[in-house]
Amino acid sequence: MKTEKRLDGTELTIKVSGRLDTTTSPQLEAELKQSIGGITKLVFDLSELEYLSSAGLRVLLSAHKTMDKQGEMIVKNVNDAVNEIFEITGFIDILTIE
Amino acid sequence: MTNLYLAAFYNIALSCVLYISDKKTAFNKLPYIAKQIIFGLLFGLIAVFSSTVYGGINIDGAVINVRDASPLCAGLIFGAPAGIISGLIGGIFRFFATFFGISGTYTQIACSASTVLAGFIAALLRKFMFDNKKTTCIYGIGIAMITEILHMLMIFFTNMNDVSTAFGFIRNCTLPMVIGNGITVGAAVGLVSLIGKAGTKTREAQKTQKQISQTFQIWLLLCIIVAFIVTSIFTSVVQTRMSETQTEAVIEINLGDVYRDISDASDKNLLDKVSDIRREYLEGETVNTLAKKYNVIEVNIIDENGVISNTNNVEYVGYEMASGEQSAEFLVLLEGEKDHYVQDYRPTSYDNKTYRKYGAITLPDGGFLQVGYNAAQFGNDIDAFVGKVAKNRHIGKNGFVVICDESLDIVTEDSKNYGKNISSLGLDIDFKNTKPGEIFEIALNGASYLCAYHFVEGYYIIGTMPLSEAMHMKDVSIYINIFTQMVIFALLFVLIYFLIKRIVIDNIKKINSSLSEITNGNLDVIVDVRSNEEFASLSDDINSTVSTLKRYILEAAARIDKELEFAKQIQYSSLPTKYPDCEEIDLFAKMVTAKEVGGDFYDFYTIDENKVAFLVADVSGKGIPAAMFMMKAKTIIKDLAETGMELSEVFERANEKLCENNEAGMFVTAWMGVLDIVTGVVSFVNAGHNPPLIGTCGKKFEYLKTRSGMFLAGIEGAKYRQNEIRLDPGDRIFLYTDGVTEAVNEHDELYGEDRLQILVNSVEKMTPEQLCTAVNDDVDKFVGTASQFDDITMLCIDYKKAEDTVSNTKNEITVSAQIDSIPVITEFAEGMLTEAGCDMKTITQINIAVDEIVSNIARYAYAPDVGDVTVEVDITKHPKAVSVTFTDSGKPYDPLKEEDPDITLCADERELGGLGIYVVKKSMDEMHYEYADGKNILTIVKKL
Repeated sequence: MKTEKRLDGTELTIKVSGRLDTTTSPQLEAELKQSIGGITKLVFDLSELEYLSSAGLRVLLSAHKTMDKQGEMIVKNVNDAVNEIFEITGFIDILTIE
Repeated sequence: MTNLYLAAFYNIALSCVLYISDKKTAFNKLPYIAKQIIFGLLFGLIAVFSSTVYGGINIDGAVINVRDASPLCAGLIFGAPAGIISGLIGGIFRFFATFFGISGTYTQIACSASTVLAGFIAALLRKFMFDNKKTTCIYGIGIAMITEILHMLMIFFTNMNDVSTAFGFIRNCTLPMVIGNGITVGAAVGLVSLIGKAGTKTREAQKTQKQISQTFQIWLLLCIIVAFIVTSIFTSVVQTRMSETQTEAVIEINLGDVYRDISDASDKNLLDKVSDIRREYLEGETVNTLAKKYNVIEVNIIDENGVISNTNNVEYVGYEMASGEQSAEFLVLLEGEKDHYVQDYRPTSYDNKTYRKYGAITLPDGGFLQVGYNAAQFGNDIDAFVGKVAKNRHIGKNGFVVICDESLDIVTEDSKNYGKNISSLGLDIDFKNTKPGEIFEIALNGASYLCAYHFVEGYYIIGTMPLSEAMHMKDVSIYINIFTQMVIFALLFVLIYFLIKRIVIDNIKKINSSLSEITNGNLDVIVDVRSNEEFASLSDDINSTVSTLKRYILEAAARIDKELEFAKQIQYSSLPTKYPDCEEIDLFAKMVTAKEVGGDFYDFYTIDENKVAFLVADVSGKGIPAAMFMMKAKTIIKDLAETGMELSEVFERANEKLCENNEAGMFVTAWMGVLDIVTGVVSFVNAGHNPPLIGTCGKKFEYLKTRSGMFLAGIEGAKYRQNEIRLDPGDRIFLYTDGVTEAVNEHDELYGEDRLQILVNSVEKMTPEQLCTAVNDDVDKFVGTASQFDDITMLCIDYKKAEDTVSNTKNEITVSAQIDSIPVITEFAEGMLTEAGCDMKTITQINIAVDEIVSNIARYAYAPDVGDVTVEVDITKHPKAVSVTFTDSGKPYDPLKEEDPDITLCADERELGGLGIYVVKKSMDEMHYEYADGKNILTIVKKL
């Protein structure tokens, strides 16, 4: 997994590529902890994400809860595999997906 | 009189007692002939008793008895031999009894013969008229009466030379003996019939319709009675008339004799006088002198011209003889042929109130001398003679002749009443209005007499005969006639009855029995009654009808056979023949139907890529209904099963559908299984079917005896339990119907479950086809020559999964159960999947699953220790699927039991964990968990 961050004022866009699974999720979780403070809009660009496991979902949910308090979080460019996971787990109703 | 009652009572009582004994006691067990001898002896004894003074009444030397009733009772109620024996005993005793003065000799032969005859009559009638059964009361009375009449006739015939004595006997005995014997036999037969009926009430039904023989008997009896009455009346009238004529003739003969005697005597007397007068006249005496001398009224001389020339009565001179009818008669003397002529006493020609008797003799010179006198004058001359004429005369036995003169005073010499007027005898005869010679009836001394009279020469001759005597012969002949007629008519009745029975009824019965045999299904029976043309043609007609019927039935049967053959073909064609093209299983099914179409069936089909359903079922009954029900059941089950619903539900719904409109009350037993060819798990439901044999690899076949549900179409709302077993590769299931286990050999032995189990275990491992054939052959061998009764259906499935895996390369990896190991495993799996040509999506899903499951194991299975996890990846072609098995030796944990997270909650409410297994569950097609040998084994399957 790789992340690519772009900060535009208080808007942070994170592009996640590769696999967001049990092994890689802690890495994303750590990066978010660092950079999420003061951000009002967090955008996840998942165009390059192969798939994500429940560990990845956990990270996304955790970020969503944080962002609810300080602004908004948007998920975009979701591929079919990932969308299917979102559908199965009901995340499709929780996350703001563009 | 008491004696007679006693004898009658003995007969009746013995009949009842013996009848009951024969029906209700051990007496019945004696041989037939022994019983007959006993019956015969006992009734013979009663016959002997009846012959003695203790058993009869003596009337004027004739003993009135009921001896003949005994052989009749014995014969009619108990049997022909008994009747004959008792008749012989009674008859022989009666014959010899006369020598010891016990019975009279007069009727010796008639009585003994009639008793013997009674025995034979009873025997013959029983045998030929009553079909060797006891008769009815009416017949008993009739037979006894006729037998007694025969008895009476025999008394007549054995005493023909003394008919009136015989008649006396018969007149006294007939009525009491006919009635006595009739009542005795009638009562005995009637009582026995009542006793018999009390035991069995079945005869009621038969009475609603009369048998031909009964109708015939009634009409025949009526005809015979009418004929009898008509002939009897006719005979009686004719006989009475004949007797009267005969009596008239007898009286007439007697009267005629007397008449002629008197007139002859009178004529002779007159001629003598005329002769004397003529002699003296020729000697010269005058007519007046002569008339006075001879005390006659007239002495006339008639010349050759027929004119009175000289007479003592002057006024007659010149009288022409030809002028009067009476006087003209004398003119014959002038013709020269006769020389004398006498006239009877009659009125004269010139005064018809004056009665005269004239006589004349010719004179030598022509003409003749005529003398006339009156009754008073000649009466003195012949009275003495007349008095003697009727003296010893009798008409018949008690009839007599009386003569009286013109003043009706009796002149018969020997009569005590000589000189008295006949009215003092009671003979008041109206002579004026009764013609002489006419027969008339008159009461005399209180008795009726037949009477006739003649008047001659001034005398009345009266002849009488007692009516009873006159009619005696009539009575005798009427008795004989009536008796003979009765016997003849009785004989005729029996004969006609017997002939009709022989010619018509017996033949009808024969035809009926043949017909009932035909009705019962034996169409090969040939009716063959050829005693006469009508029955022969009836027989032919029936035979041709039956043969036509037979032909039609055969044609119909052939058509039905053909249709059944079609039905069988349709039934067969509904069974699957294309075996699943699937390497994991080898399946074979075989059905051998019995003669008819049956209700067995088997079926198999794939439900989805990995699941194969298979079943064996047996519909109750056989034939078209079973076959049709089988088609229905098969279709319903298949339709339901193919939706993929649980087997228990399939059966529950199928049961509901089959219960609908199941008026025929048919039902189906079925055993159905669904094999998951990936996991080897077989879910199955049993609806009352025989338990299948499960052959585990390397082990023996065992019956899988689980609790069975209700058979299908039995009860609405029946529930079915679904069970599961897991097959290992090489395991087999053998299903069969009861046609196998319930096959019967010629010794009526069942093939049985044990024999089947022993057989399948005794053979080397075979393919399902070989196994089915082997079982079929063994059943055939066992059954032998006995015919196959039921369909034989078998299905065998061999689970061969092991041989079906894609490759033999190592397909598992064992690593330390740590988060770090996940990429290793993922890489391993991904490599295999890529090699197998799986698409990206599947690989991703498998990767996620591996990630989730291994991370779970890494976190919890061994914590806080560390252990290994083995991941095995299998890719199967049939069905195309990937299965990944995770095995660890950690704490037992079934992730499938975790509750699914509520995915409808909003972000705040949602837990962070618990989603992993849920995602796997959702993305995989199957997940199985088991804990075995201290290991958690979790299998996930994803179809390709």
